[in-house]
Amino acid sequence: MRRPRLLLAVLALAGVIATCATAATSADPGITTKTILIGGTTPLSGTASAYASVARGANAYFKYVNARGGVNGRTINYKTVDDGYDPAKTVQATRQLVEQDKVFAIFNSLGTEHNVATRDYLNAARVPQLFVASGATTFGRDFKEYPWTIGFQPSYRAEGWIYGKYLARAKPGAKVGVLVQNDDYGKDLLAGLKQGIARSKVKVVAAQPFEVTAPDVQSQISKLKASGANVLALFATPRHAIQGYVFANRLAWRPLIINNAVSSASNIMALASEGGANKAVENSVSIVFLKDPTDVKWRNDAAVRLYRSIMSRHAKGANQKDVYHVYGMAVAYEFVKVLRAAGKNPTRAGVMLQTRKLNDPSNPFLLPGLTIKTSATERFPIEQALLQRWSKGSWKSFGGLWGYRAG
Amino acid sequence: MKRSDLTGVGLFVLAAAAILLLPRFVSDFRAQQFAYVGIYFIALLGLNVLTGYTGLISLGHGAFMAIGGYTTAILVSDQGLKLGSHTFSADVKDIWTIPLAGLVAGLIGFAFGFPALRLTGLYLALATFAIAVAMPGLLKYDRFEQFTGGGGGINLFESDARTRPLETTDPITFETVAEPIRFLGVEISSFNEWLYYLSWALALVMLAIAWFLLRGRTGRSFRAIRDSELAAASSGVNLATYKTLAFGISAFYAGVAGSLLAIATTFVNPDTYPITLSIFLLVGVVVGGLGSLWPLVFGAIFIQFLPLWAQEVSKAQGAPAVVYGVILILVMIMLPGGAAGLIRRLHSLTSRGYHRGR
Repeated sequence: MRRPRLLLAVLALAGVIATCATAATSADPGITTKTILIGGTTPLSGTASAYASVARGANAYFKYVNARGGVNGRTINYKTVDDGYDPAKTVQATRQLVEQDKVFAIFNSLGTEHNVATRDYLNAARVPQLFVASGATTFGRDFKEYPWTIGFQPSYRAEGWIYGKYLARAKPGAKVGVLVQNDDYGKDLLAGLKQGIARSKVKVVAAQPFEVTAPDVQSQISKLKASGANVLALFATPRHAIQGYVFANRLAWRPLIINNAVSSASNIMALASEGGANKAVENSVSIVFLKDPTDVKWRNDAAVRLYRSIMSRHAKGANQKDVYHVYGMAVAYEFVKVLRAAGKNPTRAGVMLQTRKLNDPSNPFLLPGLTIKTSATERFPIEQALLQRWSKGSWKSFGGLWGYRAG
Repeated sequence: MKRSDLTGVGLFVLAAAAILLLPRFVSDFRAQQFAYVGIYFIALLGLNVLTGYTGLISLGHGAFMAIGGYTTAILVSDQGLKLGSHTFSADVKDIWTIPLAGLVAGLIGFAFGFPALRLTGLYLALATFAIAVAMPGLLKYDRFEQFTGGGGGINLFESDARTRPLETTDPITFETVAEPIRFLGVEISSFNEWLYYLSWALALVMLAIAWFLLRGRTGRSFRAIRDSELAAASSGVNLATYKTLAFGISAFYAGVAGSLLAIATTFVNPDTYPITLSIFLLVGVVVGGLGSLWPLVFGAIFIQFLPLWAQEVSKAQGAPAVVYGVILILVMIMLPGGAAGLIRRLHSLTSRGYHRGR
């Protein structure tokens, strides 16, 4: 009784789809002469909700661009959906954006596993997965398999490599203890570090993994101290990185601490320093590729001033010291640039083509001298960074740009 | 058959018809969201057998769902499923892993029932919560990584032909045409619709099973244990048998739901079955109504849609969670018996004096 009715309905539906297919024009979904709709997932709730600032910063920049006439007369609408940092929710939310909201592209969705979970779907549906907010190496490395996906920030491997090279040069003979989050992100960083110290006198003497769900990392830190390491690398997200600092201090351990960029925002460092009581924080080293709005160096920088004015106009009440907002603006700036380059009538394929030949030495929200660059065979947009040192309550960059070279 | 049984069967047929027709009235994407409602409904049915009927609180059902989901994921992605020389064709392969996933989860649930015999009330809730907490760690454990994929999880997308782009180029006209999915000889227009019918067909079967199970001797024993263990034991109810049975059945349902969730999401990793899932399931059971069956649909709708609605209210950082909490508190104040309680109240208003004997 059920089948014939179902069959009939299916036939009817198939007919509708067939007519739609022939009537469809060449224009991709989500784009009209007046607007372009893009979407992305972000954790507004849950453990990682601090990262919501990235999307907020990007949105503020799009509002600013729209207020000045948009891109080729089109206003950019950026729809963000909360996934609570749960990949299953990311999949649902992404399908909602593609199938119900009919977005032109997925943009700046946050999280490694979250983007891995949606990558096959987006590539099968041929929807651009632009500027993934994760440094996992796979997003740049596996472009042949996933031509519709591209990352943005320096890969974790490149970041680890820079720390390795720095140690090899500045602290030969260093013994490194690594606190590493037990997932692809942590492992990527560790692999990069090992690659960077290859053929040098620096050794990784201990690597202590922990689960992202672990309540604390006290035992890991004491084991790392016991290993005799004189450098501590924190390859952890903010909560555990802060704990790393706190426990090292309690054990009266004063190694040189390397803190990964994921956890090095100034507000996080301020928490780790426990109101100045924790001296282990002093002289920490991290990489930086954005203009940190709290860095006195950029106090009168034109881009940082622009950032502040955009934030006060289009993201009222948000904390302007939060460097993730700058990240959002940097990535939004690059999207606008790509969209402009894709011509008067951008298509999904046309936009992807532009992301394959990025060559932008002038993204104002990134550090001066840093070039966003991709090619037909190379899909890591940002591979350069400066090192910075935490001193008396703020980061101060030092040395020249480090550029990652694989192999 | 009693009069209430007949009404039950009538309602069941009506519900089946409504479910069959729903995708004709909503968008393809909504069908997918309702597929998730079906999946949660199955999990809630199982949890209610344990919590609502037997009075044993579980805060760890997300872990049983994870066991089901990973069973399916491992079978579909790595080895495929072979029985002797016979290999199942791609379009039904994942379907056959669903009952297996249920069985694996059910067995583990049954085994967990034994230590649970010694624990009651809050202590049991804590013990079950411990499985939910331990599960992500277990799934990431190095020794199991070759099966579970560690923190990166398992991607099911590649292995499922149905999730591929549903269009091909016509060889003569060179136009792109939609290519329907074939499943057991029936053509279905999209992955979402297939998902919808799959999860709701199973949900109806599982509802019927739960109903038959709970209306007879087993259900009576469960309720006796819930109301008073001492009285139940002295009336000849074997506590050990029925408590472990309740755990087994409940975990079987969770395993089936977890397996469906894996198929629907086409991806599993430890974070896709988070601790919060276990808590949301308990919330769903309470919102649907403890000791009820079909009103759990409202619990499932609550779980699926409330987080989405909460976002519509405000997107400020952390705001969706606050909205969710406030709505939950309001629901609990206004509907202490959940949806089932409301339905009972409406029922007694319309037919005064008539009360069902539950």
